[in-house]
Amino acid sequence: MSTDIIRADGVTKRFGRFVAVDRIDYGLRENEVSGIIGSNGAGKSTLFNLLTGYCAPDEGVIHYRGQDITRVTPQERVARGITRTFQLTSAFDNLSVVDNLVLAFFRAHRQPSLLRLLINRRKRHRDAEQIGETLQTFGFDGIRDREVKRLGLGEKRRLEIAMAVLSEPKVLLLDEPLAGLAESEIKGVLDVLRRRRGLQAILIVEHKISHLQDLVQRLTVMHEGRIIADGTCEECLSDAAVRRSYWQIDVAAGREAVAP
Amino acid sequence: MNAFRWWRGLVSAFGLLYLLRLLLPLPFANEVIIFSIYTIGCNFLLGHVGLISFGQPAYLAVGAYATASYLYYFGTNPYVGILMGVAGGLAASLFVGPFFVRLRGDYFALVNLALAVIVFYLTQNVLVAITHGDNGLLIVDRLSRTPVLDLSRPNQFFIFALLIAFAVWAFYKYLDDSIYGACCLAAKINENKLRFLGYDDRGIRLLAFVIANTTTALAGAMYAVYLGFVSPEITSPARAADPLVVTILGGVGTLYGPIVGAVVYTGMMDLASKFMSNWELIIGIVLVFVMLAGEKGIWGTLEPRLKRALLSPAAGSRPIKGASR
Ligand SMILES: Nc1ncnc2c1ncn2[C@@H]1O[C@H](COP(=O)(O)OP(=O)(O)O)[C@@H](O)[C@H]1O
Ligand SMILES: [Mg+2]
Repeated sequence: MSTDIIRADGVTKRFGRFVAVDRIDYGLRENEVSGIIGSNGAGKSTLFNLLTGYCAPDEGVIHYRGQDITRVTPQERVARGITRTFQLTSAFDNLSVVDNLVLAFFRAHRQPSLLRLLINRRKRHRDAEQIGETLQTFGFDGIRDREVKRLGLGEKRRLEIAMAVLSEPKVLLLDEPLAGLAESEIKGVLDVLRRRRGLQAILIVEHKISHLQDLVQRLTVMHEGRIIADGTCEECLSDAAVRRSYWQIDVAAGREAVAP
Repeated sequence: MNAFRWWRGLVSAFGLLYLLRLLLPLPFANEVIIFSIYTIGCNFLLGHVGLISFGQPAYLAVGAYATASYLYYFGTNPYVGILMGVAGGLAASLFVGPFFVRLRGDYFALVNLALAVIVFYLTQNVLVAITHGDNGLLIVDRLSRTPVLDLSRPNQFFIFALLIAFAVWAFYKYLDDSIYGACCLAAKINENKLRFLGYDDRGIRLLAFVIANTTTALAGAMYAVYLGFVSPEITSPARAADPLVVTILGGVGTLYGPIVGAVVYTGMMDLASKFMSNWELIIGIVLVFVMLAGEKGIWGTLEPRLKRALLSPAAGSRPIKGASR
């Protein structure tokens, strides 16, 4: 499995006596687009936290491009190309759309010493070519100067992905980017993600398999801290263990895909 | 054209302040300017970084005492004295800053208050040999006359204070327009996210702390020269919330809020104390109403209306807003 860009080997995370992630082996290949599904509390976010360094595993190691990064800080992982979004949106509410992008972009292209931050004016960077392209790709043309707190949830999610993408990550981890969105907004986010295929590896957590079917090459199903299935969407859906533990939260998608 | 737009607000604000001097007594105008400079640091910390401090008098006193001590014991040039005050404020905030900016919310507010109490007792009791305790340091007759602007004369001090305030406001406006300004606003909302974007959030907060409190010390230094006298009263805990009150009165995080707030607050105190004996009670009541009226403060409420009134007929004016002001 040396082609994996990031992989977890036998990682376990306990909270007290509760085992949130239980001896998981998981690898993501370069430029692969992959999905994770699983019911609430299955340990998906915890696995993300382990991969991105928000918490340290009790057992196991994390490798990134062949290097052991188990003890590397989250900031350093970001700098090396592992970027994530959060289940709760976290773009900066009191800044405009374009200024959020400027912050993400500015970080990606130079080490920001305090002096650098002081001598660069926001206005100049707002007009940078890549910012303009991003605004267009993500559909922010008309609202670039709008404060984030006045955006809809779907726009916020897109903005967060845009910020993550501006740092030119090698691995992009998206924690439930579709949760709480209306169908039309979901389409917008999925369109954006489709356009990013092949540019970096993407791992996306989602509840509904139906949303992922056209997007991901591979699907992993988690249940109670373990991986219970791994393969194409169809393989996962026809897996007996998956159907036993999972079918109730994705009835609609399940019926569509595996209805007898 | 853009450069003009950049300066237009600043020039008109300080033009108005200059007019104030023609309409109102000179001491009032001088105090307003010093009070505004005193407040802008607090306003920046609260409005742009989200740090609330009850201890701003500590830094005011450091500036004032550094200036006064220099002028009392060493030299006579008031300009050098003010530089000493600024250097003192810079040193003090660099010294405590790394510890203080680890704290948040209530703890940050109170640790500054504690520092103000410490400074109060240092100047009143512990360092009596230097500070002369409650008698204070009288430096009014030690100021040498300086060419160009003679700071011992109130009318020339006014011009000096106006120029300094202009420079301070230009600086804070610049900060607001820089990427650093965006980082501060971002740190206020979500410092974790900022850190994981790859920014040094603690460094960002520390720099803001140092900038704000050095500005506060500058106000203290100017105050010492203006009054010709410094006593521990400057850090009296009863006055600890003054800059916060002015900040909120003017409009938190707005550029000109501190000036508007200082004019109104100083004016209220002057008027109330002239006409009634329980004036502090009246001010308290007025403040309660201001807080209840809205979080935006006076300038925060007026600014958008003024902008609309002045700019809307102008063709091609578009509301560019980088940040909430
Ligand atoms: N910081 C924490 N402290 C205690 N328990 C936690 C913590 N984070 C997650 N858990 C628990 O671990 C389990 C897995 O959580 P999570 O990874 O967020 O699930 P998912 O994202 O799949 O819904 C849940 O039961 C949750 O209560
Ligand atoms: Mg989760």
